[in-house]
Amino acid sequence: MAVQPDSGGKDDVKTQFVTREGTYRLMTLSEYSRPNRVGYTSGSGSSHVRVSLVSLPPGPGGGPPGSDGQGSDDRICFNHGKELYVYVYRGVKKAADLTKPVDKKMYKGTNPTCHDFNTVTMTADSVSLVIGFSTGQIQLIDPIKKELSKLYNEERLIDKTRVTCIKWVPGSSNLFITAHASGQLYVYNEELTCGTTAPHYQLFKQGDGYSIHTCRTKSTRNPLYRWVIGAEGSCINEFAFSPCGTNLAVASQDGFLRVFHYDTMELIGRARSYFGGFLCVCWSPDGKYVVVGGEDDLVTVWCFSERKVVARGQGHRSWVSVVAFDPYVVSFTDPESDEGVEDDRQKSESVQCYRLGSVSQDTQLCLWDLTEDVLRPPVRARASAHLSPNSQTFSPNGVPGMKVPAKGTKSNKIGHKHAELSGQNNPSGESSGAKQPAKTKVNNVSTLNISVGKAKEESSGSLGVNSLTQRLAGFSFGDRRSEHRRNFSLSKPAEQKSSASNTVALRGKSAGATTNDSFDPLKLIGTASCPRFDECPVLEPLVCKKVAHERLTALLFRSEYFVTACADGCVNTWARPARSLNGESRPLRRFEKIDLVD
Amino acid sequence: MSICQDLGLNFQQRMGANISQLERDIGSEQFPPNEHYFGLVNFGNTCYSNSVLQALYFCRPFREKVLEYKAKNKRTKETLLTCLADLFYSIATQKKKVGSIAPKKFIARLRKEKEEFDNYMQQDAHEFLNFLINHINEIILAERNQSTLKLQKNTSGENVTCNGTVPQSAEPTWVHEIFQGTLTSETRCLNCETVSSKDEHFFDLQVDVGQNTSITHCLKCFSDTETLCNDNKFKCDNCSSYQEAQKRMRVKKLPLILALHLKRFKYMEQYNRHIKVSHRVVFPLELRLFNTSDDAVNPDRLYDLVAVVVHCGSGPNRGHYISIVKSHGFWLLFDDDMVDKIDASAIEDFYGLTSDIQKSSETGYILFYQSRDASC
Ligand SMILES: [Zn+2]
Repeated sequence: MAVQPDSGGKDDVKTQFVTREGTYRLMTLSEYSRPNRVGYTSGSGSSHVRVSLVSLPPGPGGGPPGSDGQGSDDRICFNHGKELYVYVYRGVKKAADLTKPVDKKMYKGTNPTCHDFNTVTMTADSVSLVIGFSTGQIQLIDPIKKELSKLYNEERLIDKTRVTCIKWVPGSSNLFITAHASGQLYVYNEELTCGTTAPHYQLFKQGDGYSIHTCRTKSTRNPLYRWVIGAEGSCINEFAFSPCGTNLAVASQDGFLRVFHYDTMELIGRARSYFGGFLCVCWSPDGKYVVVGGEDDLVTVWCFSERKVVARGQGHRSWVSVVAFDPYVVSFTDPESDEGVEDDRQKSESVQCYRLGSVSQDTQLCLWDLTEDVLRPPVRARASAHLSPNSQTFSPNGVPGMKVPAKGTKSNKIGHKHAELSGQNNPSGESSGAKQPAKTKVNNVSTLNISVGKAKEESSGSLGVNSLTQRLAGFSFGDRRSEHRRNFSLSKPAEQKSSASNTVALRGKSAGATTNDSFDPLKLIGTASCPRFDECPVLEPLVCKKVAHERLTALLFRSEYFVTACADGCVNTWARPARSLNGESRPLRRFEKIDLVD
Repeated sequence: MSICQDLGLNFQQRMGANISQLERDIGSEQFPPNEHYFGLVNFGNTCYSNSVLQALYFCRPFREKVLEYKAKNKRTKETLLTCLADLFYSIATQKKKVGSIAPKKFIARLRKEKEEFDNYMQQDAHEFLNFLINHINEIILAERNQSTLKLQKNTSGENVTCNGTVPQSAEPTWVHEIFQGTLTSETRCLNCETVSSKDEHFFDLQVDVGQNTSITHCLKCFSDTETLCNDNKFKCDNCSSYQEAQKRMRVKKLPLILALHLKRFKYMEQYNRHIKVSHRVVFPLELRLFNTSDDAVNPDRLYDLVAVVVHCGSGPNRGHYISIVKSHGFWLLFDDDMVDKIDASAIEDFYGLTSDIQKSSETGYILFYQSRDASC
């Protein structure tokens, strides 16, 4: 039986790692935890240690009051078990001082689960922090001034289930949103009360698989809105506003990512996990992509403009708990240096490569380069695929006239296996090609794309001969999947194609009851919401490192460092590579906020 | 219960939990019609059997076939299958909705059938499952051959020798149809580069467990390329000699019910015995396979978790087995004669431990995933 030696979790925890931009180092003195940390404790059960960071505006006298005069404007908040801590965060420059927390709280009978600072109302000596709890309540405090403390859903009349995510509405001084394990999302105004009775709701808006309600009362009270999302009682695991604040992405346990226009409350897009729940979600800094991570161990990249899953990242050994783009590592196209680029590609500057980070229950951090050629395949390849899908000489890699044996002939098969079997020396150690492109599944292909299916076959034949240009080290296609996707994308412009070609999908036993057919994963497989595994490019991580003893639960990127946290309550800071060592590489620039034009 | 009591268990709290509590937890209106939740009495370390039987009872396609067998086969002679059918029938036809049943006849028959189980020791639940599935399948095949023989005798009046190639035997049994999948192993000779492939059937997949991994990852590792060298060389037909080779096993036919055995008992030479590996291995409620072969028929078959046999304790011959099952949308915990409704979020208590400090653990041991396209 093919088995791997048991890694046993004893392999070393890395304290530094190298990428093309240089070496990232764990700052051991910048470790934040509870003040009297008693060694290494195993976190059994769920311990969702989350981290919130805020940079306060500088005070009038330089160093803000409340700090120790060492002049840091940053505050860090994290929860662990029944406790919540707020410290002055001194980044990578100075060691953490755990003896003097700005604030600490210990709760009885409930655990804090999530929190968020309000960046609109904050001043040098004041900041609002909302905290959600495992029993459904919400607290608002000012950890610096300490005079503020309000409770919402105190009697649990609004929702009794765990608060899974809490965030201030972008740009708002008083509105915040909570998501709950019950599958509901509530909009609160911190200035309003919650009333002494359970709210009576009236339907405000309804759409495919969701409904929005308001409170039916004379005086305005909390919650302002209740969003009921997805299958009944399926936990909302995380939500995220687009950088422009217009759109809201919601990741749910029912395996769906739903993207709403927040103000109009319209569902504008969705994706389905390959299997299992989606646990985390984030937006690319320009709002063009949404990335979700989940129980399929994958990171899934969804393109906003095309409303489709454009890539999947495979590298984690367990569920993906946090995804986050690093807005400080972005490569832009440089028309001159981009050799071998198709003529018809846009010359204007655009993002060439996004940097994505993810952490998982596998205790590993993965960094991914999402390159333009994967996310937006070159136009020419599409065009040629479109023009000559049946041509025997068609070659997606631009080698003209090369005869490609049809797949299924003996020699080709062996060649392919050879290529795959010897592909095990890739950097991540993951099998480079778990699957080769599926052969045409006749019963799943509609007349519309039979020809495309053929093109697919042929392109797979060129396998062992051509290797794709890999612009960036450590990056590769799982197979030659991108080609197939390019071909495939032609006849699958949108999700709508599903019904025609997927009616073969076998009936689900529960279909028809309460479940909406359009959310049936057996029908969605093979559509833009959930491509088959071999129809979508599979990315491998740029780096994949074990960075903790325990499950990782937080990841935040800042200009000089990034922060991770794990279930044992350890919050770590990693310094970015020194800039001077990096002179020869492409300029790294902070991504400017680009409002989405839709 | 007292015999296979375990060190770190919380389940004693539920001792004496009365039956009506379960009905109250489910609610009389929500209680599914024609469904019965009956615990199984422990006859002294028979929890390995009880836990597996409950899991199988809630694999609906299996239960239905067993009950169908019971309806079709008028008693001829007692076999383990007739005992199982009687037990399932007895649960399914109870007047009360909840309670407990003593699987006396089944256990007695089991002890007659297999020497290893004829004692009061704790047994390995997976060994039992393996034995039970294979044994039932053999019974069905034997009965089929017998009836074929009879039929042929009657029609032709000649004696037909049963040589095992009777065409009917090649037809899959309902046990095959439910549990059998196919693995294809591809081997590439490193000398002549020839790739040969061979198919083999399985009733369950046995996967190694890694710390802080998912069952998805364990299955991927199962299909990792392995190099055959040294004493384990591959006999290449092309080279007509033993050669170094690379081998990989992937799933070609995905079964209706995918049973996954987590290999949690590792033989440790330094202790001269098996040690429990309590690693935390998460298993999602929904699963697809990444390790399918290129010619797999239905590579994106979607599975739902329907039952988990859980091992509680510190070693293979000590501790206790329980099972959690999904029925009509909610989860139940069967601990011998006791049945409790549990929240789906409680399943994470059975993933395992992230540190090796604790000796005892309650961990998923056999996972039953049922294909969503299974009609039932
Ligand atoms: Zn050979």
